[in-house]
Amino acid sequence: MKIVITGGKHEADFIVKMLKQEHHQLIVINSDREFADYISSNNDIAVFPGDPTKAYVLSDAEAHNADVLIALADNDTDNYITCITAKRLFNIKKTVSKVRNPKNVELFKKLGVDSVISSTYLLAQTIVNESSIENIIKTLSIEDEKIVMLELGVEDDFALVNKQIMDIQFPKNINISCIFRDPHVIIPKGSTVIKPDDKLIIITTPTEQEEIIDFIQKKK
Amino acid sequence: MKRNKFIVIGSGRLGANIAAKMSESGEDVIIIDATEDSFRKLAESFSGYQVVGDATDLSVLENSYIKHAKTVVITTDSDNVNIFLSHICYYVYNVPNIFVRLADTDKGRLLEGTYIKAIYPFTLSLNEFLTLNDEEEEK
Repeated sequence: MKIVITGGKHEADFIVKMLKQEHHQLIVINSDREFADYISSNNDIAVFPGDPTKAYVLSDAEAHNADVLIALADNDTDNYITCITAKRLFNIKKTVSKVRNPKNVELFKKLGVDSVISSTYLLAQTIVNESSIENIIKTLSIEDEKIVMLELGVEDDFALVNKQIMDIQFPKNINISCIFRDPHVIIPKGSTVIKPDDKLIIITTPTEQEEIIDFIQKKK
Repeated sequence: MKRNKFIVIGSGRLGANIAAKMSESGEDVIIIDATEDSFRKLAESFSGYQVVGDATDLSVLENSYIKHAKTVVITTDSDNVNIFLSHICYYVYNVPNIFVRLADTDKGRLLEGTYIKAIYPFTLSLNEFLTLNDEEEEK
């Protein structure tokens, strides 16, 4: 693949190194002359010193018709201009932009940048995912680990959503002792219907624990 | 939704003067600049609103009634920022009249296919020189 990498410091150096190993055709442009020299000598590759937001720089570097352009400058606006210039004037198929401001992720996509990466945005996504994993399983062992208490979050695509407890064929040794449905706490009966976002507090034994988690999390 | 606001982004000499003139002629003008000091260039006659903030932040634009804008004039000192802002006004907020000042005529190619109007001080100066020169020659 023909790949153009513009701007950036150590992230540019890292990506150049990685992509070079995979034998891609690389075009590296950096407006910081000192860093351009550094990347060049460090990776044994030609680096074009110049401002990639200017069409003539992309033209001199022969970036036309590249498969991908990756914009890594610290300035979000500059990365936007580089990507849009690449797309509209140089027929570059896919553009990827790094952004500092996580709010620019949605905006850049709306304006035509194919892929937008924000480390803060990714971090936030990871935290959200982590917390949902945490939401899925909390266990508490009681009576010398002969009994375990599980807390499981229900998601919309689970098979048991909108079913009455009496209609669900549960594995043995399970007791849904409590349902936390914000802000209410429900002590379930056979007629209780399980809803998305419910938190189920389940009493079971350590040996059945895994089977029960799999059962509850079975998708539709 | 009523579009009746006249928004100027960048309170440099050009932006401040456009804002003052439009304010004098009765427009409902809002001028945005990243630094408060820039508003000192505004004439006494200016009776619109001043907003201090980075216009590339959508919340600053929305607080400046961008959704009610009939016209936006973009005159910051960076061509890249000016193009980016004009694209936001065009593609995100569908502002009906967009004017943008560009130093580099080459950057104007990024406005192709839109109704955004570019003002090039370079082209204007060049044409003015040619006109003045012709007048001198004819004497």
